[in-house]
Amino acid sequence: MNLGVIKAITRKDVVDAIRNRYLLSALITPLFVALLFRVLLPGDNPRSLLTVVVHDPGNSTLIAELRKAPQIGLVEAGSADAIAREVEKHKAIGGVVVPLNFDSDGTAGKQPELAIYVNNKKNNFEQAAFRRLLVQQVQSLVKQPEPARLVWIDVDKETNEPTRGGLSLDRMLLPLLLIMTFGMTGALVVPVLLVEEKEKRTLDFLLASPASLKEIIAGKALTGVTYSLLIAGLLLAINRQLVGNWLLTALTVLLGLVLVVSIGLFMGSLFNNTMQVNTWAGTVLVVLLAPSFPSLPMPAVVDAAMRLIPTYYLTEALKLSLAGSASPRIWGHLAVVLVCTIIAFAAAVWALRRRHN
Amino acid sequence: MNAIEVEKLSRAFNGLQAVDNISFSVEAGEIFGFLGHNGAGKTTTIRMLSGQLLPSSGGARVAGCDVITEQQRLKPLIGVVSEHQNLYERMSGRENLEFGARLYRQNFSRVNEALEQVGLLDRAKDNVRNYSNGMKQRLLIARALLHRPQIIFLDEPTRGLDPVVGREIRRLILDLSKQGVTVFLTTHYMEEADQLCNRVAFLSEGRIVALNTPSFLKVAHGQDSVKVTLDDGQSVTIALDDPDAGKQLENLVNAGHVRTIHSAEATLEDVFVQIAGRKLAE
Repeated sequence: MNLGVIKAITRKDVVDAIRNRYLLSALITPLFVALLFRVLLPGDNPRSLLTVVVHDPGNSTLIAELRKAPQIGLVEAGSADAIAREVEKHKAIGGVVVPLNFDSDGTAGKQPELAIYVNNKKNNFEQAAFRRLLVQQVQSLVKQPEPARLVWIDVDKETNEPTRGGLSLDRMLLPLLLIMTFGMTGALVVPVLLVEEKEKRTLDFLLASPASLKEIIAGKALTGVTYSLLIAGLLLAINRQLVGNWLLTALTVLLGLVLVVSIGLFMGSLFNNTMQVNTWAGTVLVVLLAPSFPSLPMPAVVDAAMRLIPTYYLTEALKLSLAGSASPRIWGHLAVVLVCTIIAFAAAVWALRRRHN
Repeated sequence: MNAIEVEKLSRAFNGLQAVDNISFSVEAGEIFGFLGHNGAGKTTTIRMLSGQLLPSSGGARVAGCDVITEQQRLKPLIGVVSEHQNLYERMSGRENLEFGARLYRQNFSRVNEALEQVGLLDRAKDNVRNYSNGMKQRLLIARALLHRPQIIFLDEPTRGLDPVVGREIRRLILDLSKQGVTVFLTTHYMEEADQLCNRVAFLSEGRIVALNTPSFLKVAHGQDSVKVTLDDGQSVTIALDDPDAGKQLENLVNAGHVRTIHSAEATLEDVFVQIAGRKLAE
């Protein structure tokens, strides 16, 4: 591989892409949405977004792990009976009552009961995030299918109208915006970069030049990676206080954008003109984005279908890394993303080589 | 020494034989014309010889490089002007050439030289989308010459151009040949091929049906004739290889209605139609 050739193609595409109004709008849409949310819905201080009231007489590992998460503020309750009252008093997202021997019972497979209070006055997104976080934390503690019985209790059943507080660029929206950035790159930018070369016949010029097919693909991929990295970096910089584990988040973002760029290259190898890309990009974008929408209760079949989409695992890994978790589950998610990336990249190279020959 | 050596080269697409077992060679510094109908296989041949497409069978050596196994060594030695004006239209003329210079690892000073060579230096900063067809064609040639190739493939370089620009392009081709560059030219314009090419090959249905110098082909396949214009404006063409030609001419002159008599040599187009037409009719 000639790095000079790859650099030349990337440089040309980086400049050419921002002169293409269509690509430019696709690239800046996530930033625009982020700014829009920030301006319209400033929300609460994200650092104290999820306040959780806990009663943990046995000093369990579960609460110790929750305490480490930078986006969660814990409030101690004197007794289990006081939880609901304290949740309302502190306007917390919910509360957790951990039995005395929770850790040992969980390890012994006794499935101890964990009472979780959910504040119905909070919005659905926050409630869903709280539920998900608790489930993930419990599952990461003990490697059993059901380490504990989770009992969900509504704090205020009378209230069906959740308040709107904290809907700004919080942890539910940041993964969505990151996936949107990746989706735009994968479904639009990279395929258009490749398809335009075919459509305008400039690919013939590149193939007659010292650039090999691999170098052309690498140049396009690098352009996609450059733009995604730039925009994802800006999104993370704007919301830096929401990032729990920077190293894991950076790794997840990097793997994620390599995945979507590979998907984009595969699309670009299949299509012959920008009209075809435009026709399919919307569908692909919705599919890629679907798992990142804030999780509302969904039928099991929809949830199972989501697991077939590679960005499901990317979203899960992002949510965990943003929440500051270093749970082993994140590595499982990243492994799935990596395998999907390799498959998509190999498919793109195969499809382009097949067409070329 | 031969710049191009082609041996039993074939290429099929989904069972359709685009190029069928062709063999020929081109000498260094020669202008070689490759003529044929649309779909005869000219562009496919160029794509194989320039390392863009693998042959189905057979092989070729271009600038001493095997087109199958030495594509990466071959590419810096050749320049290709596509039949399509495949330029980056959102970029300026200079940016197009600078991109080419980066790919071919050329100094940017070559960009100015190439722009000057094709007379585009003063419009170098303009976006290519604002260029006329002729300017785009000249820029394509400049891009193909950036790295000083030994061989240049020109696929229909004057198609759709006005006569003045066409003449400029032909002058450029002759200049290149004088500089020792081998030119492989495809064109629809027989007059252009006759004027420029040292040798021409006629391609029909993927096969070479004739290959020689234009003058030889005209003598071998063409028909010399005289064109007689009568007083009433009508004209009669008499083929000189007709055994009765002399008698026909004598009769017309004796009738006293002849206004002018002109000799008419066979053109390359006549030869092409005769050979390719016959071939197609078979």
